[in-house]
Amino acid sequence: MPAEALQVERLPVPTRVLTPKDDILDAVEHYTKGLVGPDDVVTVAESVVAITQGRIVRPEELKPGLLARVLCRFVPQKGSLSSIYGMQACMNVEGEWRVAFAMFVGMLAKLVGKNGVFYQLAGEQAALIDDVTGTMPPFDKHIVYGPLNPYGVAAAVKQRLGCFGAAVADVNDLKRARIVGITEGIDPEQLAQTLIDNPFGNASEKTPIVILKNYAQAMKQTSMLRDSGKG
Amino acid sequence: MELILAIVGIALIAVIGVCFYIMRQGDADIQFIVDQRTKFRLVDMTETTATFTCKVPFINRGTQDGTIMDAFTRHLLPYEQYDGVKVASRLELESRPRTDGYFEAIIIPYGTGQAVVITVEFTAVRGNIRQALAEMVDMPIDIVYQVVARSDWFITKARIIMTAEEIAEAIAAAQEQARGL
Repeated sequence: MPAEALQVERLPVPTRVLTPKDDILDAVEHYTKGLVGPDDVVTVAESVVAITQGRIVRPEELKPGLLARVLCRFVPQKGSLSSIYGMQACMNVEGEWRVAFAMFVGMLAKLVGKNGVFYQLAGEQAALIDDVTGTMPPFDKHIVYGPLNPYGVAAAVKQRLGCFGAAVADVNDLKRARIVGITEGIDPEQLAQTLIDNPFGNASEKTPIVILKNYAQAMKQTSMLRDSGKG
Repeated sequence: MELILAIVGIALIAVIGVCFYIMRQGDADIQFIVDQRTKFRLVDMTETTATFTCKVPFINRGTQDGTIMDAFTRHLLPYEQYDGVKVASRLELESRPRTDGYFEAIIIPYGTGQAVVITVEFTAVRGNIRQALAEMVDMPIDIVYQVVARSDWFITKARIIMTAEEIAEAIAAAQEQARGL
């Protein structure tokens, strides 16, 4: 049974466009000043964390090989790996043969009705890479990798802000939410459900930080209700 | 020996199969339909400037989704031909208007299309713009665009011609409309 979303106030925090010249911790601290309490959870969009880490590349900078040219043809069109550049970007970080092997096994698994095997085997970046158009200008012309050490980033945000918790989240308008990095004591499934309708906004909005107000209290209340229901 | 031949044969069949699959899958084919563009119309005029716009449709005629990563206009008015006006031009998606000249990369699903709005602003070098445009010549405008899809990215262009007659007609139509009001 999927985790239930917590009913908490969600506060999107607007920022200027963050770039590789920014430090994500400094930026989060600057823009959330006076807004974060000890029971809050601070979530940051994974693509913005990656951008501040400089994890971007332009298609013009990549040299796709034969393997990328062939394998991208087997990825559905909407996928970020469906272009030769998206695929090559993935291969550059996860390894060409690992991705090729994952693709081969993934296809066989699909034949017997099992989906998602490719993404399980191809490495974390296969699911996190955003192809061009995936992020807002001026990064719409870049391929954006997934962030490095998202758990470390979440821990550092929590420590810097003194909040209940923090997370790095990959959320989009297609009702898909995934927690990429999170601090201890928070259920990632429940947090993902709480962010499922994308309070970060679409690609052209500048709200890469969302504060979930009084999340700790909501967690406690939900837990108490569940316990009393069992009792 | 037979085993090796069998392996080579299977590999060959697999390669041929993949080639056939890729050929059959095809790619995106994004084209600007310049012969279906609208006529330029005058949208703003001051003593020294005149601004015209027109719409140019485009379509992805291919079999795969494609991305226009960038697009911009390149007007061609060398001063050897006419030096009475300075020109600035830009384009924007009709569905996502913006005035900064930045083109936000967009996916064009196969079989679909949209339109761009081209804006051309003339500034008179001497005297007023009406006099300057009275002697204007035909001016080519290239729509330069970068596409990426299932194969290597490429930059290509489509050309429209903003004719002197069209400019005169647009000014006359705007005057007539103003008189009617």
